[in-house]
Amino acid sequence: MAEVTFDKVRKAFGSAVAVRELDLAIRSGEFVSLLGPSGCGKTTTLRMLAGLETPTSGAISIDGTVVNELAPAKRDIAMVFQSYALYPHMSVAQNIAYPLKKRGVSRADRDVRVAAVAATLQLGALLDRKPRQLSGGQQQRVALGRALVRDPRVFLLDEPLSNLDAKLRAHMRAELIELHRRIGKTMVYVTHDQLEAMTMSDRIAVMHDGVLQQFGTPKEVYETPANLFVASFIGSPGMNLVKGELRAAGSGLAFVRGDLSLPVANGGTAGAAVTLGVRPEDITLGAGPFACTIRVVEPTGHETIVMAEAAGETLVARAAPDSQLVPGQVVPFAVRAQRLHAFDADGRRLPLVFAQSNGA
Amino acid sequence: MLLSSQYAALGVLLIAPTVLVFCAVIVYPLVSAIYLSLFSIYTPTLQGKWVGLDNYAKLLASGEFWGALRVTLVWTIGTLVLQLVFGIALALLLHQNLVFRSLARGLILFPYFVSTVVAVLVWRWLFNDLYGILNHVLLAAGLIDMPLDWLGQMPNAMVSLILVGAWKYFPFVVITVLARLQTIPDHLYEAAEMDGAGPVARFFDVTLPQLRDVLLVVILLRAIWDFKEFDLIWLMTGGGPVTSTQTLPLLVYRSAFGLNEMGGASAVAVLMMLVMLVFMALYIRAQRQE
Ligand SMILES: Nc1ncnc2c1ncn2[C@@H]1O[C@H](COP(=O)(O)OP(=O)(O)O)[C@@H](O)[C@H]1O
Ligand SMILES: [Mg+2]
Repeated sequence: MAEVTFDKVRKAFGSAVAVRELDLAIRSGEFVSLLGPSGCGKTTTLRMLAGLETPTSGAISIDGTVVNELAPAKRDIAMVFQSYALYPHMSVAQNIAYPLKKRGVSRADRDVRVAAVAATLQLGALLDRKPRQLSGGQQQRVALGRALVRDPRVFLLDEPLSNLDAKLRAHMRAELIELHRRIGKTMVYVTHDQLEAMTMSDRIAVMHDGVLQQFGTPKEVYETPANLFVASFIGSPGMNLVKGELRAAGSGLAFVRGDLSLPVANGGTAGAAVTLGVRPEDITLGAGPFACTIRVVEPTGHETIVMAEAAGETLVARAAPDSQLVPGQVVPFAVRAQRLHAFDADGRRLPLVFAQSNGA
Repeated sequence: MLLSSQYAALGVLLIAPTVLVFCAVIVYPLVSAIYLSLFSIYTPTLQGKWVGLDNYAKLLASGEFWGALRVTLVWTIGTLVLQLVFGIALALLLHQNLVFRSLARGLILFPYFVSTVVAVLVWRWLFNDLYGILNHVLLAAGLIDMPLDWLGQMPNAMVSLILVGAWKYFPFVVITVLARLQTIPDHLYEAAEMDGAGPVARFFDVTLPQLRDVLLVVILLRAIWDFKEFDLIWLMTGGGPVTSTQTLPLLVYRSAFGLNEMGGASAVAVLMMLVMLVFMALYIRAQRQE
């Protein structure tokens, strides 16, 4: 069991800053994903925790002990590399046994533990093979086995599923969730795939340009994104973002964009520029106070994605798979006021509460 | 039927040039060397008479052939081992992020492309017992109290040869090993580091296994080339003192042009080839078994 803490950790490569003033407190036994687009500093963060990179400044601690100066082998951390990094000339059994061998575990003990790990990961039949004789998924499991066998305090995984095909990826995702549930160890998981992060994590750290954007449960980052970046990065299809401003309307305020007007129940100042965020599933087509023109209809089988135009904006909405919409059709629509998001001119989340509107 | 025989004819036509060139440049010299070795030939006139296997019988009965073979093996193994040790060590060093890395990588090739004649002249001058810098330095450092005769007595002459051979040819090892080192993924070293392997364990568990294939080729090529080495040894010691550094290629030369026995020289050359074949076969089998 191990807590991991990043305290104002910064990493620069020459003049390029990969990670900026990162504060992150990971609880013992937690499954945390570092999520963000390519180049945002996820791998660098993980490598600093592993000891493969030294922070430029700040402190990384495990269970309250600062490990900045500790060699990777001394941190009691295991890492699964994106490329698996299996030793090509060693058999599967030798690969898995290697960390034990280097730690002076006796031959008999090694055999027992390798056999146990092989059984967990269903590698028993492959123990004598060389890595090049394995499929991608099998190599992935061997890499996982080499990490598991040491029984480390913390597991690090750097995009471990990105080299697998879609079906195998879904399967391995489930296996990893199950594995984490069983061993209950702290796991830090790097991915650029929001689906992986959302389905597997206890909490997600969303990163962008080396800066931590939000750290919260999948539900929190989805339902209350801290800023525009998180709002647009999480969710597929992405959140609809409509730029407008707050204006006085009747006794209160309303968000206005063209002929679109949404009454605000609480918060905000008149004249402020605001970006409104609406998730596709929070738009209901067919009835409501607003009108839009259907542009594109994309049935995916279990739902239909609809692109429609309203107030000069293209909105994406989810509709039932049996909806009979055709391009060019003008349909009324409503938005779920209690699920709307608002962001200020700097992209920060605004604590606006919208009222359910009954007319435009 | 017709079509397939037409294809067969086309096939023969297409491989014919390769087969002809192969015969002209490899089979013909080989066969003629074997053919010549069955005659007693006077080199200046190239006139001779059939003697069958007499040349071989005489060679195998003579101490000179076995002596030359022993000298060749000592030279080949000695210089090859030094080339490998220094070559790999320098390749590892040059693989690090040194300040003058690219300059050093260029300089390292220098011995390899200096002409052998020039290199030998320089080394003979360094090794000279009277005015050579080597003796001068060793005397000044108090390591010896009399100038050593580096090339004119044994085992010094062989040691000098092996050293110069290693100096001349280790860049080949450096360049090939360095090229391979650069393709070993960093992740393997990082994984090993996390698995608890120190620098030495990382060398033996990651680097060396990855170098295995390239070392196989390097050893094979360098062994063949060192075994056949002529000019460096001929120019350094001429096979002396007396015949103590006379390798098989020098024996071939002396038989053909010193003793004017082209047939006997051919027989030595053919035996040399056989020796190499035996070693190559053993070596390749040993590698396969691993
Ligand atoms: N060794 C390095 N030298 C220089 N720049 C690096 C190095 N490693 C990473 N970077 C830079 O740091 C930034 C973050 O990289 P990385 O952590 O690998 O991103 P991610 O894993 O999120 O894709 C990138 O801009 C990358 O170019
Ligand atoms: Mg990465």
